[in-house]
Amino acid sequence: MKLCNILLLLIISFSGILLPRDFDHRDIPIHENGRIKPLDTFVRNQLLTIYGKRSIKSKTLQKEISSTELSAIDWFFDIVLNPEEGDKYSVFNIKNPEVVGSLGLHWDPHHLYNSSEVLSGLKNQLDYIVNIQGKPENELTQFDKQILQVYSNVIRYQELSYSLSCLLPMIQIQDNTIAQILSVNPGDKLSYYQLMRKANELSPLMEKLLNKNREEWSESDHELQHIMGVLNEIDQDKFARILKIIPPQIGNQNKAWLSPWELMESRTIGPNQEKLLITLELFLESRIEKNTVKSNAVLAEYEDLLTHPFNGLFNIDNIKLETWTNKANLFYKSISLYLLAFFLLAISWMTKPKLLRRISFFCLLGGLAFHFYGILLRIIIMQRPPVSTLYESIIFVSLIGVICASLLEYNRKDGMGIFMGAIIGGVLHFVGFGYADDGDTLGMLVAVLNSNFWLATHVTTITTGYGTSLFAGLLGHVYLLQIIRNPNNTEYLKKVNANMFGATLFALFFTLFGTILGGIWADQSWGRFWGWDPKENGALLIVMWQIMMLHLRITGMVKPLGFALGMILNNIVVILAWFGVNLLSVGLHSYGFASGIAWNLALFIAFELITGFGTYYWAKSRRESITA
Amino acid sequence: MHKIIKFLIKPKLFAVTIMWLMVLVVLGTLAQKDMGLFAAQNKYFSSWIIWFYFLPMPGGRFTLFIISINLCFFFFNKNIWKIKKLGIIILHIGGILLLIGGGLTGMFSSEGNMVIDEGAQSNYVEDYHYMELAVINVTATDFDDYIIFDQPLLKRDKILSHENCNFEIEVVKYFENCLPEKRSSMAGIQYRGMLKNFMLTELKQEKENNLNRPGLIYQINNTGTSLDGIYGIFLGQTVPQTISVNNQNYVITLRRQRIYLPFSIELLDFKKVLYPGTEIAKSYSSEINLLEHGAARRILIQMNEPLRYKGYTFFQSSFIEGPEGETTVLAVVKNYGRLFPYISSIIMCIGLLFHLSLKLPELFKKSKGKIS
Repeated sequence: MKLCNILLLLIISFSGILLPRDFDHRDIPIHENGRIKPLDTFVRNQLLTIYGKRSIKSKTLQKEISSTELSAIDWFFDIVLNPEEGDKYSVFNIKNPEVVGSLGLHWDPHHLYNSSEVLSGLKNQLDYIVNIQGKPENELTQFDKQILQVYSNVIRYQELSYSLSCLLPMIQIQDNTIAQILSVNPGDKLSYYQLMRKANELSPLMEKLLNKNREEWSESDHELQHIMGVLNEIDQDKFARILKIIPPQIGNQNKAWLSPWELMESRTIGPNQEKLLITLELFLESRIEKNTVKSNAVLAEYEDLLTHPFNGLFNIDNIKLETWTNKANLFYKSISLYLLAFFLLAISWMTKPKLLRRISFFCLLGGLAFHFYGILLRIIIMQRPPVSTLYESIIFVSLIGVICASLLEYNRKDGMGIFMGAIIGGVLHFVGFGYADDGDTLGMLVAVLNSNFWLATHVTTITTGYGTSLFAGLLGHVYLLQIIRNPNNTEYLKKVNANMFGATLFALFFTLFGTILGGIWADQSWGRFWGWDPKENGALLIVMWQIMMLHLRITGMVKPLGFALGMILNNIVVILAWFGVNLLSVGLHSYGFASGIAWNLALFIAFELITGFGTYYWAKSRRESITA
Repeated sequence: MHKIIKFLIKPKLFAVTIMWLMVLVVLGTLAQKDMGLFAAQNKYFSSWIIWFYFLPMPGGRFTLFIISINLCFFFFNKNIWKIKKLGIIILHIGGILLLIGGGLTGMFSSEGNMVIDEGAQSNYVEDYHYMELAVINVTATDFDDYIIFDQPLLKRDKILSHENCNFEIEVVKYFENCLPEKRSSMAGIQYRGMLKNFMLTELKQEKENNLNRPGLIYQINNTGTSLDGIYGIFLGQTVPQTISVNNQNYVITLRRQRIYLPFSIELLDFKKVLYPGTEIAKSYSSEINLLEHGAARRILIQMNEPLRYKGYTFFQSSFIEGPEGETTVLAVVKNYGRLFPYISSIIMCIGLLFHLSLKLPELFKKSKGKIS
């Protein structure tokens, strides 16, 4: 029965990978920051930078757009197809009233402004911006940094909205003669790129035009001149090079991808690249016509073009998978299930304990399945082990914590594991979301980290160690609370104590070998096993603290009560080693230098100290009052 | 004697020393922000004694030494020799090996840099931290005669002399970090060489040792000529000091301490590969020729793939991009203790796994206790 349920859950959650999906516009591959990713990821991150969220919420949208939420990709195609109408979206998120004031904007309670408002405000500040752009980073004030951010966002936005304008049918041919020469029907609209392809046919006409007096111009001459004017105007958009969606003609991993505008400039467009551009043109046309049948057919061709000539550059299935992952929001699903598990457990303490606890455990396992699946997908997409950035370490540690808690629950069946799992999973997921808002969470790795073997061994072991250590620390909390609840239940407390000791041994195993493996990696890459680098010292501190607590406990110098307190304090050591050393801004492990976390760290440490020592003395006095 | 053993065997001693070691690690880590890694390491970790103002306290090396002894005496404990504790015994043997390896590395390993331009070759390693004063007799056309004075000798009032050198050098001042500056007024008559036009100003020591520019002011005595006087020299000085005494020509330079290798390395090509369209490096590599006894062996050194040869290990560490081409910086290490962590981690792993497999089922027995 149980097995069946778990199997069913797994099948439901894995169905995304089992059912093949047609290629669609979200999957168009794009090259950014060294990685080939779906357009969907790209525009989500662009929107995140400008707007602060990965999709547009309803309050931002004007009333005529009735939907409650607009996805990043739809927003992108809307501003690309109608670059002049982008102002209907107020997407510039400016929170600082000083910046709002200096840009001459009217204060908006949602902090949101549209591009032309911001642009006209920036025009008055151009001198100031040019001035601060030359300054070194550490001389900038907060205001300077924010205004530069707004400035770069406006440029980013402009680049986005004009990135495909060379492929949009914007030039109408009315004159019969010209239409005939270009072999199109009068009234047809052509794109900049189409006209460029037909430049050879137009050039004799142009020559004639230049040799004629203006008074002698025929109607088609006037139209030709008009067309040239429009072409010139569109040509102004060539700064918009952000959208690097065309692979290099010869499929080479180390060559840069190009944006349509860069190709227009280069004048050497390879045949495969040309085919892609033409297909893109057709796709944009079908979007304008709102013709889904046509656009599906065109996209199928686009996929075909990508798979064959550019074989080996990327795996189209992984790109599709990433798009699916973006949409699926697996970690939101898992945190909701963790929270649900917590509430059900809380209710089970009041009524129907057995049934509700069971359902709650299933929720926890369901959350775990989504959580695990989310990490698995990241491994498949990036083709590398699960942990390589601070963000990834958070979601991985949380996974380990929840796994430990589930095992404990399976072992004890009294709700303690659910309680702990929901707390670890919920809190760490929440912290992780904060980090995810910094941008693309799937980044490329610098040379020294670019080693799957060591990422798989050292990094996963040490983060597993963090997870198991936090789990042991949480058990310490639970143990003290249980003593306060009922100091008489010695049999039960003994069991919890044994669990806590076991968890600590388990944690020591991972932290110790994680640290030694790290030393071996350092020996392999830099030639020294140990360099007293802050991160190494942090890991060493965790190991030493755990070794010390175990020896104190084994030799009887510390009783179970003190051991529980020691494991709670171990949490502080873990958090300091994990996040705290990054505050020092020295050393080799520079993957997560962050400045804003000091306050949160201090809060956590204060919390652990107060609750740790508080419950310790309370539990002690409870026990003493009983024995007395 | 018995009392001493009893004291050393005590687990309490271990608890106290490991606590002290934790304090040291915390202090040493925090100190890195202010004094840099090298200085903090020397003060807290590689030291036998630390002076907190006037109070001497055991340093990192001393503390680790005590822990090692304490760990050795662990095996004299009669209670541990039981089959049930086999895992624990194995674990502690691994721990001892790790500490021994650490000790060997700390005392006997040497490390430095090898800087080679593309197309050039080198057969020596430059120390990261220590300097040397080289007096080179270049009179003979077919060989140079080197006299090297190591950094410990470069202290105020030390007299440096050697039988092959027919003058004496007296150290006037050694700067850990200095700045050569053009003199604004006429120099005193006692100054010679570079110091006639320049002076060396002492600067505050940088946190990162490699950013320092050491300098030396010295006096040459006993030549019996007008060459006697005060000279100056600094690291990276483009024109070295030359003097000739009694028809012998000498070149004097201050340089990083060199260790010569029994072979040479020629850099053929340095490659840096970026992720396309970014400034993020994907890999660095140096293609080299290992030259020994006239034979050349072609080898590629890259990130995470060092060259190991004759006890030396060469790592791709850094690079310099100049207008005339690229220069590779290889980190070179000679370490006698490097196998210890590998062996000890395997032993400890076996021990801990053995112990866990014995112990965990007991610690996670199916719970029968009820919440009451």
